[in-house]
Amino acid sequence: MSFKDILNSGKFVVTAEVGPPKGTDIKEMIHHMEILKGKVDAVNVTDNQSAVMRICSMAVSKIAMEHGLEPIFQMTCRDRNRIGLQSDLLGASILGIKNLLCMTGDHVSAGDHKGAKPVYDVESVQLLKIVDGLNNGKDMSGNEMKGSTDFFQGAVVTPEANPIEPQLIKFEKKIRAGAKFFQTQAIYDIEKFKDFMKHARKFPVKILAGFVVLKSVGMANFLNNNVPGIRVPQVLIDELKAAGKEKALDTGMNITVRHIKQLKEEKICDGVHIMAIGMEDKVPEIMERSGLL
Amino acid sequence: MIITKKRDLKDLLENVKNYRSFFLIGCSECATLCGTGGEPELKAMKEALEAEGKAVTGTFVAKTGCQVLGTKVELKPFKEALDKTDCIIVMSCGAGTQTAVDLYEDKAVFPSNDSLFLGNMTRLQFFDERCSLCGKCILDKTGGICPITACPKGLLNGPCGGCKDGNCEISPDIKCAWVRIYERMKKLDKLQEFCEVTIEAKDWSASQKPRALTAREEKKK
Ligand code: SF4
Ligand code: SF4
Repeated sequence: MSFKDILNSGKFVVTAEVGPPKGTDIKEMIHHMEILKGKVDAVNVTDNQSAVMRICSMAVSKIAMEHGLEPIFQMTCRDRNRIGLQSDLLGASILGIKNLLCMTGDHVSAGDHKGAKPVYDVESVQLLKIVDGLNNGKDMSGNEMKGSTDFFQGAVVTPEANPIEPQLIKFEKKIRAGAKFFQTQAIYDIEKFKDFMKHARKFPVKILAGFVVLKSVGMANFLNNNVPGIRVPQVLIDELKAAGKEKALDTGMNITVRHIKQLKEEKICDGVHIMAIGMEDKVPEIMERSGLL
Repeated sequence: MIITKKRDLKDLLENVKNYRSFFLIGCSECATLCGTGGEPELKAMKEALEAEGKAVTGTFVAKTGCQVLGTKVELKPFKEALDKTDCIIVMSCGAGTQTAVDLYEDKAVFPSNDSLFLGNMTRLQFFDERCSLCGKCILDKTGGICPITACPKGLLNGPCGGCKDGNCEISPDIKCAWVRIYERMKKLDKLQEFCEVTIEAKDWSASQKPRALTAREEKKK
């Protein structure tokens, strides 16, 4: 079943992430793919995440397919103008890539090539519109194409942003531009997420809640201070503190498991997106403990 | 106004080390306001050159350095000094520097400043970039605040996920351009427009370089 069909079937969906490495040695990445295979419903292949140069997400998406995984090809606007974006989208289409995640992309100043020229010829909302056009056989300039694409396109949203209202307006713009599903920035406050979902449920889109497992108090503080859109509440930091250094990771996993269970049991959203960031081997365990396997 | 910053003096002196006599041109407009090409800066440059054993045949602050014909007329009385000069240092923006290039084809011309951006002076010698000269203004759609310039990503339809407590992910000390636009639209009771209108991808054809404009032709239209 395709990712789209699974989402539409009403199953509580699980997606994870595969980060392409920097360099051509893909052994570890393939190992991660083997771990995730048959367990998650799809894997996001990140696109030069944090503006750090790595293998392109299209090639890795193709490799994921060859290893029996359904990829979600992440595409950021940062590195290509509208010609490059559309050309890559057509290329991805003929490679059999179906799922897309359209994003603006982190700014080059966050990455490892700070002197690069950021492109941003179009942004996430406009990219979604481009994809919608390509699906209907037309390029962005309205030219008829020989053959169209058949993408299932999604986008991202930050439910814990402050202020939230402009984010919600942009969320609606993305839906109007053709987004069919959303994966959220990592959430830690289920009550706040419920508020967001009350709004999101007014629209015919699927929402997958994002999770980043907390490994330590230090990591929680780092996320709070450095990663915009992420807020780890003090109660969770206290919980990690109480657990002590040795049990911190286990406690972090417990927190994730607890939250996932709650979302699933209370039918709050349509699935979860687990961003393991180097801990891909823990994803099956998290899923098992959450009752998702 | 064009915001300029002094280039490193050591580098400049290294660049001009083979020349002996210099003429300095400043500008009474932007460069004077920026403190990069007014009377005091020309005086300091003259002293720096003389300390290196160079001759300075004259200094002059143009009324508007980017105005080629006006500057040409203003420079007439300096003909003798300029004839004796083998290098001109222009202490304005890059446009002013190229006025000198136009007027003195056979002389070396060096800029003493880096031209940074088109901005507004918000306090004495505090400058903010406000317009990127994109060629097709969209301020009418964005509450009068330019996101192409004020948002590091030039987004056109709302804040990115990186906006933190209303501030920009790239420069946390400034407010997110889209939060500003949102707040202004709200104040003006135009939130509806902000919600409903999706701004199309920008047409960059109007910013393809080099651009030229003839006011006379525009008038005839
Ligand atoms: S929209 Fe273009 S012309 Fe208007 S202020 Fe912004 S950069 Fe300048
Ligand atoms: S935080 Fe706001 S101003 Fe900064 S890049 Fe994002 S949208 Fe642009």
